[in-house]
Amino acid sequence: MNVIEVEHLSRRFGDFKAVDDVSFTVGAGEIFGYLGANGAGKSTTIRMLCGLLQPSGGHARVAGHDVAIAPERVKAGIGYMSQRFSLYLDLTVRANLEFFAAAYGGHGATLRAAIDAMLERMQLTSVRDAVTGALPGGVQQRVALASAVMHRPRIVFLDEPTAGVDPLQRRSFWQLIRELAAQGTTVFVTTHYMDEAENCARIGIMVDGRLVALDTPEALKREHAPGRVLDVRGPGLAQALDGLRGEPGVLDVSRFGSGATVRVDPTRVEAQAVARWLRARGVEPLEMEESAPTLDDVFLALTASAQRGED
Amino acid sequence: MVASTFGRSGGRILAIAGKEVLHIRRDPRTLYLALAMPVVMLVLFGFGISFDVDHLELAVVDQDGTWASRELVRQFTASKEFVVSTESPSPEQALRDARRGHVVAVLVLPKGFARAVSSGGAQVQLLVDGADGNTATQVLAKAQALIQVASPRLAGEGAPLPAPPVEVRIRTLFNPGGRSALFVVPGLAAYLLAIVAVLMTALTVAREWERGSMEQLFATPVGRMEIVVGKLLPYLCIGLAQVLLVLTAGAWVFSVPIRGSLPVLGLGALLFLIGMLGQGLLISVVTRNQVVATQVATLTSMLPSMLLSGFIFPISNLPAPLRLLSTLIPARYFVSVLRGVLLRGNGLEVLWPQLGALALFALLILAAAMARFQRRLD
Ligand SMILES: Nc1ncnc2c1ncn2[C@@H]1O[C@H](COP(=O)(O)OP(=O)(O)O)[C@@H](O)[C@H]1O
Ligand SMILES: [Mg+2]
Repeated sequence: MNVIEVEHLSRRFGDFKAVDDVSFTVGAGEIFGYLGANGAGKSTTIRMLCGLLQPSGGHARVAGHDVAIAPERVKAGIGYMSQRFSLYLDLTVRANLEFFAAAYGGHGATLRAAIDAMLERMQLTSVRDAVTGALPGGVQQRVALASAVMHRPRIVFLDEPTAGVDPLQRRSFWQLIRELAAQGTTVFVTTHYMDEAENCARIGIMVDGRLVALDTPEALKREHAPGRVLDVRGPGLAQALDGLRGEPGVLDVSRFGSGATVRVDPTRVEAQAVARWLRARGVEPLEMEESAPTLDDVFLALTASAQRGED
Repeated sequence: MVASTFGRSGGRILAIAGKEVLHIRRDPRTLYLALAMPVVMLVLFGFGISFDVDHLELAVVDQDGTWASRELVRQFTASKEFVVSTESPSPEQALRDARRGHVVAVLVLPKGFARAVSSGGAQVQLLVDGADGNTATQVLAKAQALIQVASPRLAGEGAPLPAPPVEVRIRTLFNPGGRSALFVVPGLAAYLLAIVAVLMTALTVAREWERGSMEQLFATPVGRMEIVVGKLLPYLCIGLAQVLLVLTAGAWVFSVPIRGSLPVLGLGALLFLIGMLGQGLLISVVTRNQVVATQVATLTSMLPSMLLSGFIFPISNLPAPLRLLSTLIPARYFVSVLRGVLLRGNGLEVLWPQLGALALFALLILAAAMARFQRRLD
């Protein structure tokens, strides 16, 4: 069953198309990732889906209601953690949770019990009486997530929830997101960290307001960054690389710093063949490491092709 | 069903109001601004910047030198309102003193004054230093009153000198001592209430925009009416406490009486406060920025409630365009209500038009604020 259905959704600001003809669906209990560079239109899409921004074209149904026609019904059924930090930093952790729970209609003993349970679940019990603004960023992020799901929404929208948080905290945050999804909550999350997007069941990639790709991480890699990735390093690499570009089976060569990334089609050329080829041109000693492509490679490929398409 | 909808809405309003109370408790400067500042200002104004004038320095030019002329000067100084600082032979010399700021007025008794008194139609010249308008007005009023009292004595049956203007009599009627505290407290109360109420709301709502929490709030099912009522409620309470405090301070320190209907006063204060809170709300909804909101709020509350409310300048003395403009200023009506209830002992039968004007302003400004306050980001 789909809990989010988006058809030809657009949003214009003046002449500028922030979101341009986007269509997709998200199933119940899914973790759906929305990727894109800054300004790609991720937040604008989320705001339309949360009933905060009127679409200028197309339709979107969230939790069974059209966002343009019944935004209030949509709001009651979802949780939202906005990109800009939106907790009340001068209030305690508990006061924040109490406020947001009450805003969704919670009250009395059930509310207090739910808050205690949520504090426990988000590992916030020890800081519950601390002033939120005095806590580290990672902890604040967990408080924001807790505030967004206090009322047990079926769908939760998280707009760059891990921006500016250290990698360790990000990993534990994603653990919480996976737990939410395991309990049946649909999670719609935007990010520009490609590594954490691997956690998503499906990923949509936005470039300049358009949804240029949408699939599982594996399928995206197969389609947009196929082959193997070879990270190579050695003396005289720069001159040798130019010749490598035209060789059969070599899909892509990109330099970074003193090394380079070579993407090859493993059915046509083996890693050892590339190594021999480079050594024959004087790159010795050669360091080479073979790996699978990441979403970074997918993203780079898609952004590059979108830009080529525009020129 | 209706009850449960109402209950849910009430719960959300309480949630917003409760949060606001927590914000205020976390940052007690708001409370200080609202409650301590008015009392401090009242005392400062009441004592320091008193509008009362006595021991006014007077230069006398007695060119007549008769019993009648000396008697008139004695009348001036008997009340202690005037003291004769110099006696000059000529008006020119006296004027030079006046220019140096030593004296506030020059009383010239021309040659032949005594004779003119007995035949009726005597004239004295009073040159008043107009640089301080407030003092000048009072000097004129006092001099006229003195002369009015003195002239029958001087002339016996004759009634030679012109009668003082009606204004003087009105002031004398309700504020016989001409004590400025009685006059200042109502104006000051309206002024302080206006600033604090507009500023507090403008800031609290603009802060939510600025920090992005307004977007979070809009994503919840809390309605805009609930946001507005919840956010304004605590400040309404603070404002009412402020009114109480200022009036108590006024009564205690300056013996300002409460002669009229207290419920009318309460109603006036409530309507005025709602209007001011609505004005603050409108400002913050439009500016969405604390710095700009502060400036706009200070400007639009301070200037009109000081200059166009009758606090410092009587409405009747304003030039016609400003007088017209003042009819749009709620502080004007609130000052009328305060003076009416406190000093004149008025009730609803006299003050209903003022209360009506306050209610109308509150209604219109809240409607305008609500129309601008859409729960969408675009
Ligand atoms: N309210 C607005 N008015 C005008 N332009 C906007 C507004 N909101 C967003 N934009 C523009 O739309 C584009 C997409 O913004 P956004 O959705 O916030 O991107 P992202 O979240 O992917 O970084 C940006 O170029 C931004 O400047
Ligand atoms: Mg964004």
